[in-house]
Amino acid sequence: MVISESRPFLRADGPDKVTGSGRYVADISLTGMAAAKFKYAGMAHGRITKLDLEAARSIPGVYAVLTHKDVPDVRFGAIPDRKLFASDVVRFEGEVVAAVAAIDAATAARAVEAIVVEYEPLPIVDDLEAALDENSPLVHESWADYDADHVVRDRNVASFSSIERGDVEAGMAEADLVVTSRFEADASHAVPIEPRGILAQWEGDRVTIWSSTQVPFQARAGVCETLGLATNKVRIIVPHLGGGFGGKCGFHFEAHVAALARAVRRPVKLVFTREEEFVAPDRRREGMTIDVTSGIRRDGTLVARRGRMLLDNGAYTADADFFPQLAAMHLAGPYKIPNVLIESSLVYTNRQPSGSVRAPTAPQACWALEAHTDELADAVGMDPVAFRRLNAIDSGSVGVVGQTYGEIGLQQCINAAVEEIEYGSDLPPDEAVGVAIGWWPSFPGPSGVYIKIDDDGAGQIITGAQECGTGAVMTIPHIVADELGMQPGDFELIYQDTGAAPYDVGATGSQTLLNNGRAALAGARELARQLKELAAEHLEASTEDIVLQSGEASVVGSPASSVSIVELAAIAADNNLLLAHGSSEVIETPPLVGSTCVGDQGVAAWSAPQFSCHAVRVRLDRDTGVVRVLEVSTAHDSGTIINPLGATGQVEGGVLMGIGQALTEGTRYDEDGRQLNAGLLEYKLQTIADAPTIATRFIEIDTPDAGPHGAKGLAEAPNVATAGAIANAIAKLVGHPIRRLPMTAERVWETL
Amino acid sequence: MTYILTVNGTDYPVDADVTRNLLSVIREVVGLTGTKEGCDDCECGACMVLLDGRPVNSCSYLAVQAQGCAITTIEGLQSDGDLHPLQRHMLESGAVQCGFCTPGMIVSARALLDANPDPDDEDIRIGLSGNLCRCTGYARIIEAVRKTAAGDSG
Repeated sequence: MVISESRPFLRADGPDKVTGSGRYVADISLTGMAAAKFKYAGMAHGRITKLDLEAARSIPGVYAVLTHKDVPDVRFGAIPDRKLFASDVVRFEGEVVAAVAAIDAATAARAVEAIVVEYEPLPIVDDLEAALDENSPLVHESWADYDADHVVRDRNVASFSSIERGDVEAGMAEADLVVTSRFEADASHAVPIEPRGILAQWEGDRVTIWSSTQVPFQARAGVCETLGLATNKVRIIVPHLGGGFGGKCGFHFEAHVAALARAVRRPVKLVFTREEEFVAPDRRREGMTIDVTSGIRRDGTLVARRGRMLLDNGAYTADADFFPQLAAMHLAGPYKIPNVLIESSLVYTNRQPSGSVRAPTAPQACWALEAHTDELADAVGMDPVAFRRLNAIDSGSVGVVGQTYGEIGLQQCINAAVEEIEYGSDLPPDEAVGVAIGWWPSFPGPSGVYIKIDDDGAGQIITGAQECGTGAVMTIPHIVADELGMQPGDFELIYQDTGAAPYDVGATGSQTLLNNGRAALAGARELARQLKELAAEHLEASTEDIVLQSGEASVVGSPASSVSIVELAAIAADNNLLLAHGSSEVIETPPLVGSTCVGDQGVAAWSAPQFSCHAVRVRLDRDTGVVRVLEVSTAHDSGTIINPLGATGQVEGGVLMGIGQALTEGTRYDEDGRQLNAGLLEYKLQTIADAPTIATRFIEIDTPDAGPHGAKGLAEAPNVATAGAIANAIAKLVGHPIRRLPMTAERVWETL
Repeated sequence: MTYILTVNGTDYPVDADVTRNLLSVIREVVGLTGTKEGCDDCECGACMVLLDGRPVNSCSYLAVQAQGCAITTIEGLQSDGDLHPLQRHMLESGAVQCGFCTPGMIVSARALLDANPDPDDEDIRIGLSGNLCRCTGYARIIEAVRKTAAGDSG
């Protein structure tokens, strides 16, 4: 463990954040800066019959109004099914039709109002089942022309995947009991407290874009692809980022703002309103319908599972092409089941596009699976925890795609979580405890850092990694300092700047510590080698005998023979510089064994999987249907925990988001496909008054093929099992599962 | 319209339209950007400032109405360059993640402690219920306020 109570974690960006001196995109102003606003479709499906910009362009102070005619004709996305601006058909209410740059935001807003667009309404596709009908209208008439050979697709099905192992028919025949359940989850949102901002400035043929993105290198790639620019002409800088939760993953509006800034020859800034933050980004958490049938023996052993899942892709495929397979894995779950067939489809609708919101597909699918699992336990008269202990995988188990798991801590997580909440003890009549288990993959990927020590001994870590609040990047100086016998405060971080740092995937997939942490470790070891060689020369000793600790390089066994790292830095400044780089090595994804996956997207067998068990105690008000979560007990296997304070913060925040998804957070639509609750008054986040007591335990297993010192990821895992645990607690109180997410007071009350 | 706003003890001449809200004037005219806009709807509390010690969502308060008031923003909490105990405890307790809600949260907590120097957890929950945080589970924020109230120097 790197960070202990004796060496507390004080995040390096903390003073900026508690004093208000830290800058977020909206806080940055440049001389001559214009304000941007978008004209949105405002309707779910229609063909543009008239687009008149003259009135808008004639308003004094309006510098430019851009449409599809002003940018290259390029399709982009995981399935290249969209363009920067609608040209012919609009497919969801938040689609950008035109972009305005004006002297100030009020003038830009007036110009947006003055843009005249007329539409021929087209039939709205907003029902997942109906969208599969061969007579259904198509969201994309020309779907077959899109270049996306990596997915299995047909008409309104953008991506289909299956997980198949054994013989599910034979398995069901072998079962003593067969239980079928159906669930439906509403869409929800990431809701970072910072609405996104983008500021673009051109100098010559180069553009610098300050963006509140979680993935600066992906944003850069998107700008280059859509505007036809070389990678080295585009620099993305992320100042402090006010949360993301996946909502700021991907490439969004950087190219629109860059195109505006180029057109008006001055900096242009876009800052979203809260309503825009709800409606426009292509990162909604997907709605889902879930059918699941399981066959079990009288002793509770699972023998077969069949599943069918429909995921609401929305109008365009942001990054959801792999979601069907990921969702299927969460409906299979971390269980031993010999016969499995789960078929999962990502379905186009005329709604906001879905995308990677914190643990995409998992909270909804886990919620359904874990409610179904309690139904299975009930069917054979078993305690639900005992049922999970019997059927959940353990070290050495073979999972649903034939992957044999190494040393894992799922069973220990179950034990720890139920022990902490005193499972089985007497409770008041309107209280109950529910338990759910979950899992989540690690996503190995390329990542790099540079590390240098300058002439005064002050260090810099220049990393491509992105900090979105989790503290993952803030942990990097601790890892580096630990290798070099220095203090974290000896290193300043240069980060979130594609113009300065090597590549990183970004704050997505809980991968920062996993990948950038390994890169930092590699870089630090290289710098340690440089320091040791220099010290060996200086102290006339062998390199192998030099140790680095407490800011000194000394000879083993001869502590008097030492030289400070500051002194070595001064020597190096006139010779070979102390300058290292590190890169994360490739971790191979495990193979599929004895299973078949149609439409395989590479997310069925997992490197360094993370496990969790959440147990919750709730109280139900039977008069109103209001459920209050009183206590949550969590246990997580995320490998070695390097930063306990940061790790606990991730679990607590994930649990709270999970409570919101369970009880209050769901998007409602009107019959014309528009969001009805695109605001914080109508879309309720959990407040401090709602927050329960949360206990967190970590089952620490030094995991091979994981991150630095055996750490796995953690930011998404705590967002997987909470809703399922709450569902099971409610079911104990009302006698049956609530089959729609969120389980609002109204929905609970209706079943009473 | 031209008028004076007193922010963190300094008088600032302001030339702004009478319809502008206090948040935009503090950020864009006075030039202090620590106060954040999260919703422009009084729902998130990121824009919280103190008017004569009273917490106010500055997004929904006309700037001209704040004339003659002592306005305190997050930038006004430090003294002699040292962190206010609330700022230090928020940092040390792990109550800060993305930091976007943090200034408003600290300002609300300051108002709470000024009014009630010894709050229990329920008082803290009520006092901060107008401030949304999406990153934490709120427990660390409660802990930071509790430690500040206790005068905990650790």
